Amino acid sequence: MKKRLCLYYIGCVLTLLLLALPTMAAEVVQGKTVTNDLNTKLITVEEYDLKFTPQNKYGNPTGKTMVFDLSEALIGKEAVPGDIVRIAYKVVDGKNKVIRIMNVTRQDVMKK
Amino acid sequence: MLEWYTMYMPISGVDIFWPGLVLIGFSVGCIGGFFGMGGAWMVTPGLNILGFPMAFAIGTDIAHIAGKSMISTFRHAKFGNVDYKLGLIMIVGTVIGIEIGAQIVMWLERLGQVGPVVRWAYIVLLALICIMVFYDYYKADKKKKAGDVGERGAEGITWYKTLHRIKIPPMVHFKTAGFTCSAWLPIMVSFLTGILAGFLGIGGGLIRMPALVYLIGCPTHIAVGTDLFEVMISGLYGTFTYGAKGRIEIYAVFVMLLGAAIGAQIGTVATKYAKGYGIRIAFGLAVLACMVSIILKQYKIDLAATVLILGAVGAICVYICGIMFSGAAKELREKKASSH
Amino acid sequence: MRKHFRRLLALGTAVFTVFLPELVRAAGPAAEMLIVVADSRRVSAGWARYFVDSYNTNPLWFGLECTIITAFMGVTLGVITDQIMRHVGIDLTSRKIIEH
Repeated sequence: MKKRLCLYYIGCVLTLLLLALPTMAAEVVQGKTVTNDLNTKLITVEEYDLKFTPQNKYGNPTGKTMVFDLSEALIGKEAVPGDIVRIAYKVVDGKNKVIRIMNVTRQDVMKK
Repeated sequence: MLEWYTMYMPISGVDIFWPGLVLIGFSVGCIGGFFGMGGAWMVTPGLNILGFPMAFAIGTDIAHIAGKSMISTFRHAKFGNVDYKLGLIMIVGTVIGIEIGAQIVMWLERLGQVGPVVRWAYIVLLALICIMVFYDYYKADKKKKAGDVGERGAEGITWYKTLHRIKIPPMVHFKTAGFTCSAWLPIMVSFLTGILAGFLGIGGGLIRMPALVYLIGCPTHIAVGTDLFEVMISGLYGTFTYGAKGRIEIYAVFVMLLGAAIGAQIGTVATKYAKGYGIRIAFGLAVLACMVSIILKQYKIDLAATVLILGAVGAICVYICGIMFSGAAKELREKKASSH
Repeated sequence: MRKHFRRLLALGTAVFTVFLPELVRAAGPAAEMLIVVADSRRVSAGWARYFVDSYNTNPLWFGLECTIITAFMGVTLGVITDQIMRHVGIDLTSRKIIEH
């Protein structure tokens, strides 16, 4: 029993150490695709806010547009203008580098 | 959407009726502890019915199995009856099998078919469990009426003798379990159960246990221990692979594990005081109710499905808790009386 | 001859088992992956934010975290509930286990 508890405490310490390691933080933005250029791999998105209502379940347009670089992104279903997308990105050298992009519109259709 | 009874699940992005989540976790622990079998069969359908997308339901179920198997492993700590050689060889098949099961799920998800396919697979599985439970009861009932109380294992089935004759190298001798066979036999058995476990998000003991006994020829007590060991491995690997595939809602795992830990205690204590075979019928009925609610969900009658599955598992939990509390109260009273 | 055949069979089975996941992946019509981005705008608390961030940035790391944390949590809960039961004074050692 003592040996087991000892092992357990070692496990506790290791787990806490693991959690203390810094993770990369990513910004998340959700909005409507304005343009998605497959050649330059740049996507323009109109940002939506967080005020979800039954009518606007993805939030309301804020009018602010942002440009993202998809060159290194994990892309699922290709977004066409009008699709709601959710993007995890980080800013590298002033550029918005996308880590992964989710096509909310098209994935909601096939959910469940 | 921000009523008190819903909880936002940050990864899958759905709002979940959290008391349902707690109840499912608690029931799995309670029923699992009481009947000595996983109970994971109700988690994937239950989570799906509560609103999780199917792939998330499977991943979350597997993670919760990993956590729960760690509880039981730590408690019993003696894998005393494990044939480690057999267990280690089976890991190969289990891990590859789980990976394939998970790949199939992801592939079906891309096609948008994972929900219906897994639901129908579950309906078949639960129907089989149901038949097993009721047949078991029927047999025991008949025996009792015939006055035959003697316990006899299923010695009649000796498929493993035939299977042991297949001599594809490498041949391995398992010392603890006491037989020699081709290493491919346990690998293939664990491989197939692994696929099923990865695909349905179950521990696989339901299939692995009988397979170990009848197909591999393991003595029952060794089969129990080795199976427990494999469930842990399959749970941990399943958690890793589903996590890496991004299909685990870690918060739901926490909530359910908390419920399961408490439920498991009540369930195991209740076995001390339970008498008779009648409880099996209740168990069979719960499985049946779970099956019906999956069918309801398949035809998009969501509310009825939710009420039915939560009601059924809730009722059986109340029953088990009742057994436990009355029994425990009696034991404590007697203890007090005898100490005076 | 038969010995060779058996060896070949063993090798064949091994290759088949190891590469089956690849086969499954290759089989069937290719459809696009479903990528999920966790909405970190909707979580503020430290813990939730931690998981959501590692989910969004590094899937393998998230998988590892899930494994370690569930295992750790399982054991912790086991220890705590055991303590409680001992405290209550119910004898858990003399129970019979119903096996299936």
